[in-house]
This record gives sequence, structure tokens and C-alpha cells, in this order.
Amino acid sequence: MTGNAKSAADLTDAEVKSAADKLLSLVGGSIATYTEACLRCGQCAEACHFYHASGDPKHTPAYKLVPIAKAHKRSVSPLGWLGLAPKVTREDLAEWEELIFDSCTMCGRCTIVCPMAIDISSVVASTRQAFAKVGLGPADLREAADNSRDRGSPLGLTPEALEDRIEWLADDNELDIPLDKDKAEVLLTVSSIEMMKYPQSIVGMAKLMNAAGADWTFSSVGYESTNFGYLSGRGDIARTMIERITTAAEKTGAKTVVIPECGHAFGVMRWSAANILGRPLPFEVLHITEYLAALKRAGKLKFKPYDGSLTYHDPCQISRRGGATEEARYLLEDFATDFREMTPTGNRNWCCGGGGGVQAMARAADLRHKVFQIKMDQVEKTGAETLISSCANCRLTMDESAEHFHWDHKRDSLIELLADHVIE
Amino acid sequence: MDLLDFARGPALQFAAGVFCFGVAWRLAVLIFTPQARDLTPARKGALPGPVAGAREVFRRMWPEMHPTGSNMFTTINGYVFHLGLAIIVFGFAPHIQVIKSFFGISWISLPPVFIHVAGGITMASLLAALVKRLTSPVLKLLSTADDYITWAVTFAPLVTGYILVGRLIQPYNTALALHILSFAVLLIWFPFGKLMHAFIVFLSRARTGAHLNHRGAQL
Amino acid sequence: MSGKLTLGEHMSQRGVSRRAFMKYCSYLASTMALSPAMAPAMAQGLAAARRQAVIWLSFQECTGCTESLTRSYSPTLEDLIFDFISLDYHHTLQAVSGFAAEEAREASMEENKGKYIVIVDGSVPTRDGGVYSMIAGRTNLDILAETIENAFAVVAVGTCAAFGGLPYAKPNPTGAVPISDLVGSKPLINIPGCPPVPEAMTGTLAHILAFGELPALDDKHRPLAFFGESIHDRCYRRPFYERGLFAKSFDDEGARKGYCLYEVGCKGPIAYNTCATTKWNGGVSFPIQSGHGCFACGSPNFWDQGGFYKSLPSKTTSIGKMAAAAAVTGAALGAGAAFVASNSKKQAAKET
Repeated sequence: MTGNAKSAADLTDAEVKSAADKLLSLVGGSIATYTEACLRCGQCAEACHFYHASGDPKHTPAYKLVPIAKAHKRSVSPLGWLGLAPKVTREDLAEWEELIFDSCTMCGRCTIVCPMAIDISSVVASTRQAFAKVGLGPADLREAADNSRDRGSPLGLTPEALEDRIEWLADDNELDIPLDKDKAEVLLTVSSIEMMKYPQSIVGMAKLMNAAGADWTFSSVGYESTNFGYLSGRGDIARTMIERITTAAEKTGAKTVVIPECGHAFGVMRWSAANILGRPLPFEVLHITEYLAALKRAGKLKFKPYDGSLTYHDPCQISRRGGATEEARYLLEDFATDFREMTPTGNRNWCCGGGGGVQAMARAADLRHKVFQIKMDQVEKTGAETLISSCANCRLTMDESAEHFHWDHKRDSLIELLADHVIE
Repeated sequence: MDLLDFARGPALQFAAGVFCFGVAWRLAVLIFTPQARDLTPARKGALPGPVAGAREVFRRMWPEMHPTGSNMFTTINGYVFHLGLAIIVFGFAPHIQVIKSFFGISWISLPPVFIHVAGGITMASLLAALVKRLTSPVLKLLSTADDYITWAVTFAPLVTGYILVGRLIQPYNTALALHILSFAVLLIWFPFGKLMHAFIVFLSRARTGAHLNHRGAQL
Repeated sequence: MSGKLTLGEHMSQRGVSRRAFMKYCSYLASTMALSPAMAPAMAQGLAAARRQAVIWLSFQECTGCTESLTRSYSPTLEDLIFDFISLDYHHTLQAVSGFAAEEAREASMEENKGKYIVIVDGSVPTRDGGVYSMIAGRTNLDILAETIENAFAVVAVGTCAAFGGLPYAKPNPTGAVPISDLVGSKPLINIPGCPPVPEAMTGTLAHILAFGELPALDDKHRPLAFFGESIHDRCYRRPFYERGLFAKSFDDEGARKGYCLYEVGCKGPIAYNTCATTKWNGGVSFPIQSGHGCFACGSPNFWDQGGFYKSLPSKTTSIGKMAAAAAVTGAALGAGAAFVASNSKKQAAKET
């Protein structure tokens, strides 16, 4: 899935200006404040898994602020008006492409240590849009976005394929998996990573929803909650993906849209979608762990205890950036008899290294593998048998890296584990 | 008019003018750059934005995560010279008198010996910070001229302060004038460089505090 | 005044008999280990000696310097006038006035050409041709120029003469200038103070008379013996300064305990004078000892340095309104800059 990557060296002057213009158009009050706030203290480097993996100073998160900072300064300072402030150049775009895409998962760990609380993730997300505008960014990432727009999902899960898959899974597991119900309270969405690679987690979700007696459905109009438009910086595709889900929810009259085990899918739908669409969403958005935790609280879900030792990896977009850190732990409460937190954990946990689309970038594989050493170390220190998480992208990243290292430690999904132990 | 008259008079006046003008300009730019409203609903239990923002300003005064690697040095050293400067600026009787002449408020001063010790520690701390900036690969990549100029204008008043207190330059008038002028230079540089963080810190921490609290993502 | 009288004639006028004078000279001779036969020669020599001529000019002044001088303890003014110097011209102290006084001055200048000392107190007005201070129909400028032409040295006594003093303070309506502006290359000593410590004046004169030359001076022409150290460095309250113990206001607890007066405006650190050691009224006290901060009355511009009760490091100009105006202007322009940037962004958004 690599294709021919466009190189910054190939950009025309007009394209360079176009990228610079796009950067400038994205500088709002927050980004302006953040770029002016940086003290260049360098503490963010220690918090970043990519810096740890490579030891290369260029992977310091604060360095990622430079391109948009230049655009901001040039537009707002008298020196800039006189043309005396540096502008964004072709060389900048060439140098920073890898820093904005390959070596940032927008995990927000840097913001934790920053004394000025600079939200570098949001700056990177905006900066990606400028690169994407002129066709820059890893080719496989762009392709995933194209696929999402043209075929419905990054991995080629078309509405027809969706229908096929659901039918097959329902049959195989003797489970009722509703698709395209006229009306339903809850619209469940998928991440095609699950559909294509971890179909058991789809089965698991269906099982749990049914056990709780929920009134839910999938919809072939809007099913893909991953958003490679957002990840690749292509705002038009990001918007398309959100519109599909919104249309599907409005069509079924759903009050709740549930995001499956995926991190950025939750982050985008819950914390960005309304802003991208320009209007509040007429439904609430919950991650599957939040939804199930609510059901458990209401007494609608009960589980047989799980005896093995477990440790939990916090997906960044759900915990640190998403605010749903406690839901997974509530689900594990009274369920996992031997649960061990890794160090650090919760909102301070280390990123798996594959978020933000990095897992889809073939050329970032080496760096991702180096990053995974941090996670392996964390897990081994807990002595737990099984590592679980509730993000399919984290799962894919960890599986792929584990295979690279021949790390045979058991790995699983929280949803699948819960589904296996639900009392129906 | 001798150098001291110039320092205490027109120099401070000009410096104060540039300071007020520049700081107001910089803050106005940030405050008047529009930010799109967040249309997503806040997580249940989230505080109002300004409250969460104010809270974050204070929360960040203590590290959120145990500093690892060289961050331990950066964190501790940062506290040392900030606290040192605070002790010197706000605790030394002549400085309190300056503040009184500007703002009409004053408070009890610290015994001078504390100031002399704090001054030495602060200078050592700032020198250590400079060495770090000059030798760390991360900081060498990030650093700009601003970082060094800001360091120099912050260090200079400590040097001239010690010269004054130690009578290393005679007469007293000249040494006092140099000390006041070094402060005037700091005031003039302030709005152009990194020292603005003294004000921007409130804005940046508040924005992130409100943003993350909206998501319920506070630590 | 007697520019023409010898010391002998002067002694005789004071009622010292010839016999008493001879006895004095014998005593002098024996102490100088001269033979008794030398006494008459000594008597003759001394009797014929001329005393140091001093012309005292008073311009824009308050007479405080002369008042202070009359309180000198060692040497006393009387010692000076009658035994050491011949004060040929001084408005306040001399008996004659009018034309006779002027004639006396001119005569002394002629007789003692190149040897007389001019003492000046008060500043010299220069605006409007110097009409703001005139004596005998002549401007101070004129009189000074004429008097110092053949003088041996000029001694500017008091801060007005040394640095311009009170008349020189803002707005200086008379265009007052210090004497130093007007003496050209003539040897000049400044003995500032408002007024100067009496012993600073008499001691300096005694030095000149004893050694025939000017004492060591600082860069402001002040005798180092009296102006070489600051009040702060010789102040008996200095230990309180070092310990950070201050009077916060007059007559508060700190003040009554005799703490340092830095916070009620003492300018000791920049005041170079002898008050802290020599003190006033024969060593009785000085302002700080009496509970009032020094205001550096021997320094140039001390009237315009912010205020006697404002502490030394305080700013001396009014900044509030200007700062507020600067802040408002800055904020407006900053908002304008954000607006300009916003337009650029709209433009950029259109083009993307």
C-alpha cells in the first residue's frame, strides 16, 4: 500500500505558497498562543516515545511547532509585514514531513510535561492539513483516506462487504447482528481493522449489546468510524466520513452512536465532529467501554470473573485525550481477579506508537518497532500474563511489532474478554 | 544630569513605556485572534472553561509526571532560579522600595543575608541552565537567538546587583545607575522575547486546561 | 578689613602692645630653637608680613554658608579672620558698604594680584543678561569675571556655587549656573553642602594657607578629605542597614529604635560628605542621628532627585499616566495586528 510518494522537492513555488497559506489559515487563538508560548525548554523530548526510540533531537515535540509558528509570526508581527520574518520554504516542508507524520501519533504525552501546557497534538493535526493540501504525506496514508472516501473504508470494506461480513459472523456465531434496522436507539459503528483483522471483537460487541438488551443496529449508510481523512490531514474526507455516520444516526433516529475499539475514531466523533460539521450533533457519542460501563452500572451487564493476570494498555485517544480512562477500569473491577497496572499508567501511559495513522505508514515501521520496546518493557515489569487494550489500532500495532520481535506475550481485546465472560 | 539621574529618570520612564506598550500589544494579539467555539458537548462534570483554565494555571506549578532523565535537572533548576529571583526581587528591601515607588504597595523585607545567598544560588542556577542549553543536543536544535538574549538580560541585573552590593565599581552612583539600567534593558527586551512567558503562561495553561477539562481528560 | 595693614599694625590695632608682641616673638623664637637675639628679627619679619587676602563674593545665595562658617569650631572664624586671613570683602560681615566696599575689593585685587583667593557662595544667574542678581549695578557674571581674573584660586562654597543648588533646580527661572561653568581654567575647589559642614570650609582654607596649594580633589573638584567617602559608608546606623532593620515611617517603632532611615528617604549611599564623621555643631549630631534621612545636599541636583522622603532606588519621574497610555495604545495596535493577520488568513483561506 505504498504507491508513489510525492516529495516536497517536487513542489512548485505556487504549491509551497499554498501550503504556507493553508498553515496560516489554520492559526486560531489557541495555536497562536501555543506557538508563542514555547520556551524551548526541551522537556517534551523525554515524554515522547519517538524521541526515546531514536535519540534524535529532531523528534523533540516542540520542534514540530516550527512551520506553523513561522506562518503565524509572519502574519502578525510588523517585521513579518515588512517581509523580514522567515517564511515557510520548500526545505521546511521537506524536513518536517517526517516529523509531522511518521514520528507523531498526536498522543498528547508531551503536553503533560510541558510547563506551558502547549497542546502540540492539535498543532500537528492542523499542520498535517497544510502538507496534505499540496499532496504531501506518506502515500499509504493518503491511499487509506482515498479508499475511505471512495469505497467506504480504508481497508476496502464496502457496504456490500459489510453486509457479507455481518451475515457470515452472525451465522458463524449464532448471534443476532442487526444491520439497517429502520429505527434504533443505538447506532453501532465499526473500525475496518476489526472487521478485516479482528472480527471476533465485532462478535463480542454484538454479544454484549444483546446481553444487555440494547436496541441497536449497524447501518450500511454510515458504519466506518475510523477517519483517515482526519489522520492524513484531508479535511474534506474527514468531513465526508463524519457526515456518513451522522446521516445514518439521523436516519435511524439513534440517540447514541457507539464507537468500537478504536482510539482516534472516538476522539474524532466525540471531540471534533461537531466542529468539523459546524453544528452540534443530535446524538451522544460514546466509546464502547463507556457504553458498556454505563450498562454495567445500570445492572444490565454481569460478568463471570476472569482468573488470569492482566495488564491494560490505555489507548491515548480514549484515556489521555479522550477522558474515558476510568471506564475500562470500571469494567475490569470485580471481573479481573488479578489486574496489574503498568508503570506509568492511565493518562500517563506510554503510547503504542501506532496511533495517528502511523501504523498505516510502511516507511515508519522501524521507528514503530523501536517504540514498542518501551511497551514490552512496561508489560514485562508487571509480570502479567496477558496484555489487553480497547483500541484495534493499538492492537494491530502491538501485534505487528510483537511479531517483529518474536514477543510471544499474550495479547487480547478488552471487549472480547468481556464478551467471553458475560452472563447472558 | 548624571548617569544615575538618567537611569532613575528618563531611562526607567522609557523602559516602562516600551514594556507596557509591548506587553499590551503581544497579549492583545493573542486575545483578539479568534478561536472557533467548541460545539461538542462537555463531559458530564466538566467545570466551566474559565474555571478549569484558572485551575490549570495552578496545577501546572507542580510537575504532572515524575520528571525522567534530564527533565529532573530542568525541572529542579527551573524552580531554583525562579524562586531565587522571586526571593531577590520581592524580598530585598531596596527592591520593595522600587515596587512601592511604582505601585504604592510594600511589605516586610527579608534579612539581606538571605538575598546575598539567593543571589549566588540563582546565578549558579542560571549559568547551569546556559550550559545545558549550549550542550544538550535537543536544546541546541531548538534554541534561537531569543533564548540567549533573554538569558543575558536576566543574568545582567544579578551581575550588576552584586557589583553594587560588593562595591566593585566606584562611586556608588555609577554602580547603582548600571544596576537600574540593566533592569531598564530587561524591561525593554521583555515584550520582544521569551520573558513574555510570564504572561502567556496564563493564556496557554488556561486554554489547555479548559480544552482537556471539557473532555474530562484532566489528570 | 585691612588690606594695607601689616600683621604688626593689625596686632597693634587689636590692642596687642609692642611689649606683648615682643614676648610672643621671643617665645616663638625659642620654640624654633633660635637664639634670643633672633627674636627682634622675627618680630620685625612677622610685623611686616601680609596676611592671605580673601575676597568673598555672594551671589544667588541664602547666606546659609556664611552662617555655617560662623559656627565653625576649629579653626574658628575668628581665628581665620583675625589670625590667618584678611577678609577684604564680605557683604554680611564687613563694616563698610556701598562704594567704599567696592573700592576695598578693587584695592585688594590690585595689591594682591595673583595671590588672593576668591570665595564664592551662591549661583550665578545668566538668563536675560544676568539681571536677576546684581550688586552695585553690575551683574554677578561681570563681578565674578573681573574678580577671578588675577586670583590664585577660586573656592565655590555651598551647593549653589558648586553645582547650582536651589536656584538651579527645576525650572531654573534665572538660568542659574554653578561657578565651575564660569572659571575657565582657574584652579577651583568646590565645597558643597546646603550648607557645607563648617569644618569642611575652614579646614580646606587652612590647608591652602598652611601648604600654599590646593588639597587633593575628586572629579567634582571637592576636597577628598571631606568628600571622599559617602555618608552611608561612615554612618553609625549602617549595621541596621546590613541587617535589614528600617524605620518605615517617622516616629514609628523602628525610628525610635534608631534603625536605618533608608526607607524614609535617606540618600546616604550617594551622598559624599563629611557629616557622618565630622558632624555638626562641634561634633554634636547630624541629620541621621537626629532621625532624618540624609538628602545628599552636597550632591549636584539633589533638589530634583525624586524627593527627600522617597527612597533612593525609587523612580524619579511620573510614569503612571504614560504607562497607561502606552498600554492602551499597545493593546489597540495589537488588536489591529490580529485584525491584519485575520485578513491575511481569510485571503489565505480563499487561495487554498
